[in-house]
Amino acid sequence: MTVPNEHLLILAGILFAIGVGGFFLRRNLIIVLMSIELMLNAANLTFVAGSRMHSSGADPNLEGGLFAVFVIMVAAVEASVGLALVIALYRRKQTVSTASLNDLGD
Amino acid sequence: MANFLFYLMALGAVVGSLGVVGSKNPITSILSLLGTFFCLATIYLLSGFQFLAAAQILVYGGAVMVLFLFVVMLLNLGNPDTSAAPDFIGKRRVPIAIATSICLALLTFIGVLGQGDVQAGNASLAEVDTITGLAELLFGSFLLPFEAGSILLLSAAVAVIVLAKRERSQADKPQTSDTGEAVR
Repeated sequence: MTVPNEHLLILAGILFAIGVGGFFLRRNLIIVLMSIELMLNAANLTFVAGSRMHSSGADPNLEGGLFAVFVIMVAAVEASVGLALVIALYRRKQTVSTASLNDLGD
Repeated sequence: MANFLFYLMALGAVVGSLGVVGSKNPITSILSLLGTFFCLATIYLLSGFQFLAAAQILVYGGAVMVLFLFVVMLLNLGNPDTSAAPDFIGKRRVPIAIATSICLALLTFIGVLGQGDVQAGNASLAEVDTITGLAELLFGSFLLPFEAGSILLLSAAVAVIVLAKRERSQADKPQTSDTGEAVR
C-alpha cells in the first residue's frame, strides 16, 4: 500500500472527531461508551501511521503497532468495566441515560 | 489496487462511525461499530500489521461487540431512545457538539498539513515479517508492560463480577434510599 501517511492521519482525525461528537451529543450511556471505543481506534490508527512513518524498507519500526496492541488490551478492560457500571446503574435507576446522573450520593 | 482498497475501507469506516453516532437504535449503532472495526482491521492489514488486524477482529469484533450486544439485550434497550432532553445545556447541545467536532477535525488537518516531513519515510511494511518483530518486542523489552496488562485484565474480570453482581442483602434491608424517606 503506497497511500501517503497524511491520509491515514486524516482518517484517524475524522474518526476521532466523530467519536468526540458522539460523546457529547448522545445521552445513551452505551452509545457514549461506543464513542470512546471509536476514539481509541482512531488513536490506534495514528500509532500505525506513526510506525509506518518511521520505518524504512529494511529497518521496520514496530513500536507503534505494539502500542496499538496495548491500547486494544486496555480498551477491552475499559469496555467491560464500563458496561458493568451501566448494568449497576440500570439496577438502581432503571435507565441508561446520562441525564439521570445528576446526584452525588445514593 | 491496495490503495483503492484503503480508500474504500476509509469510506466504510467513516460511514460506519457516523452510523454509530447518528442512529436512534442501539443495535444499529453496535452493528455499525462492528463494520467500522472490520474496515480498520483491513487498513491495519494493508499497512503490514497482520497481528494487529487479527487482534482487532478477535478482541473488538469477537469479545467487545458481543459484550455490548449482550448488555443491550439483557437490559432490553433495543427500542429507540425517546426520553426528554435535559435542560442544562438545552437546545445548544447539538451546535456545541458539532462545533467541537469541526474544531478538532480542523486542528488535525492543520497539524497534519503543517508537518513537513510526514511523507518522508513512506515505507511499505508489507514485505517485512512484522509478527516476528512484534513478538520479539512484546516478549523482550516490553515484557513488564505485557505482564502488567495481564494483571490488569485479571483485576478487571474480578471488578466486573463485583460491580454487576446482584446485591443479595437488598431484600433483607429496609428500603431507605429509593423511596426518599429514611427510616432512622
